[in-house]
Amino acid sequence: MKRKNNKFNKRPQNPLNKLSLFQKNDSRFSKKCPLSGKDAPTVDYKNIKLLKRYISDTDKIMPSRITSVSQNKQRKLTSEIKKAKILGFI
Amino acid sequence: MNFYEHTLIAKQDLSTPELENIEKKYTDIITKTAGKVIKVEKWGLMNFAKKIKAYNKGFYIHYKFEAENKTLEEIKRKSVIDNSLLRHLTVKYKKLDVETEYIKEKDINEKKK
Repeated sequence: MKRKNNKFNKRPQNPLNKLSLFQKNDSRFSKKCPLSGKDAPTVDYKNIKLLKRYISDTDKIMPSRITSVSQNKQRKLTSEIKKAKILGFI
Repeated sequence: MNFYEHTLIAKQDLSTPELENIEKKYTDIITKTAGKVIKVEKWGLMNFAKKIKAYNKGFYIHYKFEAENKTLEEIKRKSVIDNSLLRHLTVKYKKLDVETEYIKEKDINEKKK
């Protein structure tokens, strides 16, 4: 009878469950960009509801490593937020 | 010819005929310098996030037009001198999105009732 050794074939999900210290950490932080893709909302200085999501309590622009916005869209976000600040929306 | 969007912020304490004069003044500037007005939106009285020149509120007027560089200089020159305006902003676009309106005018009369 064959014994199924599924336990060793599986990759560890939690980094604390690793078998040895030198095993690679597989559960990396990965998320898709919320502003790019097919049905993504348009980034515009008039779209105040969307811009307010990417701003901290003290009106600073959030870094992309927290919001996981792509590099191209982050550049566009900053320029649109600055335009909205001129008109007094934010 | 390129597409542009232009927004004005007028002072809070203006009367309605004065606001109509301002709106007419800038449409005339665009049409006189061989431009073409596509759409005019009035956003009405809105609150600022922070005070601008000691004002808490302002009237917003939004233009969408097609013009050349000459009209932009004219608009900028006139709106810097204009005493009834607080701020202004022009943005260049490759394609104008005419249909979607992010900000709609709230009827002040309905709120009072």
